[in-house]
Amino acid sequence: MAKDIAKMRNIGISAHIDSGKTTLTERILYYSKKIHAIHEVKGKDGVGATMDSMELERERGITIASAATNVTWKDHPINVIDTPGHVDFTIEVERALRVLDGAILVLCSVGGVQSQSITVDRQLKRYCVPRIAFVNKCDRSGANPYRVKDQLREKLGHNAIMVQIPIGLEEKLEGVVDLVTMKAYYFEGPSGDELVVREIPSELLEEAQNKREELLDAVSMYSDELAEAYLEGKETEEQIRCAIRAGTLSLELTPVFMGSAYKNKGIQPLLDGVLNYLPNPSEIKYHALDTSKNEEKVPIVPDDSRPAIALAFKLEDGQYGQLTYIRIYQGMIKKGSELFNTRTGKKFKVGRLIRMHSDSMEDISEAGCGDIVALFGVDCASGDTFTENNMPYTMSTMYVPEPVISLAIHPKDKKSADNLSKALNRFTKEDPTFKTYVDQESNETIIRGMGELHLDVYIERMRREYKVELETGKPQVAYRETVTQTANFDYSHKKQTGGAGQYGRVAGILEPNPENEYDFVDNIKGGVIPNEYIPSCDKGFRACLNKGKVIGFPIVNVKLTINDGNYHPVDSSDIAFQQAAIGAFWQAYEKARPQILEPVMKVSIEGPSEFQGNILGSINQRRGIIISTNEESNFTRIEAEVPLSEMFGYSTVLRSLTQGKAEFTMEFLKYGKVPNSIALQLKKEFEEKKKADSKK
Amino acid sequence: MIKKELITRSPLRILEKSTQGGVGNGNIGVITARKGVGKTACLVHIATDKLFQAKHVIHVSFADDTTHIVSWYEDIFQEIARRYKLDNAMDIHDEITKNRVIMNFKQDNVTTEQVLKSINSMIRDARFSADLIMIDGYDFSKITKEELGCFKKFARELQVEIWFSTTLPREKQFFDDNGFPVILKDFIDHISILIHLEAKEDYVQLKLIKDHDQLPSKTLHLKLDPQILLIAEKKQ
Repeated sequence: MAKDIAKMRNIGISAHIDSGKTTLTERILYYSKKIHAIHEVKGKDGVGATMDSMELERERGITIASAATNVTWKDHPINVIDTPGHVDFTIEVERALRVLDGAILVLCSVGGVQSQSITVDRQLKRYCVPRIAFVNKCDRSGANPYRVKDQLREKLGHNAIMVQIPIGLEEKLEGVVDLVTMKAYYFEGPSGDELVVREIPSELLEEAQNKREELLDAVSMYSDELAEAYLEGKETEEQIRCAIRAGTLSLELTPVFMGSAYKNKGIQPLLDGVLNYLPNPSEIKYHALDTSKNEEKVPIVPDDSRPAIALAFKLEDGQYGQLTYIRIYQGMIKKGSELFNTRTGKKFKVGRLIRMHSDSMEDISEAGCGDIVALFGVDCASGDTFTENNMPYTMSTMYVPEPVISLAIHPKDKKSADNLSKALNRFTKEDPTFKTYVDQESNETIIRGMGELHLDVYIERMRREYKVELETGKPQVAYRETVTQTANFDYSHKKQTGGAGQYGRVAGILEPNPENEYDFVDNIKGGVIPNEYIPSCDKGFRACLNKGKVIGFPIVNVKLTINDGNYHPVDSSDIAFQQAAIGAFWQAYEKARPQILEPVMKVSIEGPSEFQGNILGSINQRRGIIISTNEESNFTRIEAEVPLSEMFGYSTVLRSLTQGKAEFTMEFLKYGKVPNSIALQLKKEFEEKKKADSKK
Repeated sequence: MIKKELITRSPLRILEKSTQGGVGNGNIGVITARKGVGKTACLVHIATDKLFQAKHVIHVSFADDTTHIVSWYEDIFQEIARRYKLDNAMDIHDEITKNRVIMNFKQDNVTTEQVLKSINSMIRDARFSADLIMIDGYDFSKITKEELGCFKKFARELQVEIWFSTTLPREKQFFDDNGFPVILKDFIDHISILIHLEAKEDYVQLKLIKDHDQLPSKTLHLKLDPQILLIAEKKQ
């Protein structure tokens, strides 16, 4: 049976790496009775938390892949998407965020809002995901949920408002006071299962009343009904909840919950909060793009009776074949029905339809709109859209950043070589930011990704899951080449070797084009190049872009305009004009003063202010530009722009400079010009490599 | 217009001509105004003018976050580039961005010593050879004369120019009998140039109150245009 959409919730749990996200997820699963015993992340019992389905994740205590699992809380089905915490796996996070309707932002009550929390929050903002905050680890020494609430306001710009206050803190944490019901909640029994409601302890009453007033002041602006009732002192719990919900859904308010997942405190009220304050799928406006009408936006109606539209957001290769996680945006999907893959244009039949609980699965016969389920054995890629009745709709293209780093890999033996292709095939399908190709000149297999750690994890997974033993080369930055000034070309391609000859002449301009990677402009007048050969010129130019002449990297940001040419009625051909365009391109390229570009990362470092000097020095040594520093309570956050090539091994350096007390995150920002001294070095290396290759 | 011409024609040359050469290295300048009159705009324009001259600027703020300060710099740059039809604007932008850094503090819990220590660390450890330090939104009611003295000493030792901007309290009397802002009466000896922003009907007048060791003899023909938030010449 399809479920009632108004009761459904699709939520993600987003957090900084050590804020206890996996433990929280585990507790949510436990309280909603899907699992029968609680496992810790770095489990003493060797089992590991349920959502961490991969061995590697268990070992590192972090969650890399997002698994979707369905739970039920108070008759409401909740799909929990476990989003990865590490910033190198941004695409995994962003893909998961795409299908969420709401999120729990988990923060550590001691560490507060750290640099990764900021990255994660920025991602939630980009996808307009309403969120509630959970201040975890209130049982730890130094816990201060009030400070975390203030940081949410100051560092993340949230209008954060406490809906609870703690009863005791650190080792004295007993429970929470709910400021809506004005009751004290205690969590008793061996695993905190028994929620005991009592009166607020007298010593906390005054504080609770003050905080409730703050809450009411903050939320009454989202509900006129509450504002009026509040003035008369007649506000009801329902009115307050409606106002908090309205504020949260408008993304203007973040209700703050608190507790300790590890100590089983505060989870049930948080689940109530998910039902009360986060949206159901029908409350969010989604759009599809109509590929038949130049990607025109089409509103999606969350109605089971309409034709189905679903997005494949996650692939997993299990022992029984490929599992495809989908989010249904419109209509219903039934077992045995036929779906259409908009990207490939192919139809397929829905075989098994499955509801996932991390590693275990339940066969179902149908699923309605808003739901997140999985399909078995469908040949597709992550990000594909499936529709019913051959509708040419696609869910908006997900932003996929280009890889910035590459690494050559060599399998050590034949068996490894065989398994390598299987592993690469799977990983590239699962993760669009992980790419691979065989370098035609060196015959090496190259893997490309978003950072050192990103590639490390895949190499590790190849070893563990596919028994592939590898030798790896040095990480290589994805440089680019571009031109800095305008240059003319006028090139004739002539070949006369008996039989039909080849002839084509192409003339025009090559110029810098900061707006786009490549533009081709046809300004040919009077048919001096016949129409049929114009695409040949474009093709010829494009062929040149793959490998520049300066250091052999792709050429970007160029505009090519053709404005003159010549043809021969017999000797001109597609290939002749392609060759002419290639000749013309290289003729102009040298004159257009080519330059090398390198990926520049936005780096954010956070650590105690006493190490500020060391950190600043390390950025300076890495050709970094410091954009800003932010000092508060003896903590400094430094934002800088640093070339990726200088960031290899930085985590080790930063650890030793700061006694392990600082951390950093980075993401791709832009391509920047390489300084002359470095460019000379790169050119020298390229020439040497060319010489070595030619000797082989 | 090329960059060189832009520097020569900058309205800030008027400030230098109308005073004894501007603030100068090792000295302190202060801009006062009521809240919302345009202190930050003035500071950012002065800083941008220095950046055009290939000088290095540290902008110290006590705001909630640094992004809006960065937007100030971006907006002022764009406005100047547009108004003066600056050649190679993007290249110049990239070049001057490297010479600017924003340092943000919470004034409530940071001491003068800490601020100076961090600035010093930026100059020495990050090898950021600052020529100008802008301290935006500084609350003089929370510091002593000695603390401003530390800033002065710092400016002298490192041969940098320091500008402060400060808000004049709403209710209190602004100026004493000598024409100095009441809030700055204990600090006046340390200040070389003092400018007050006076809101007129459709513009903001830059009024020179102190010019090094003398009282200003000339009127400052400068205004802040509230439409574009740039300092401009005020024609007589």
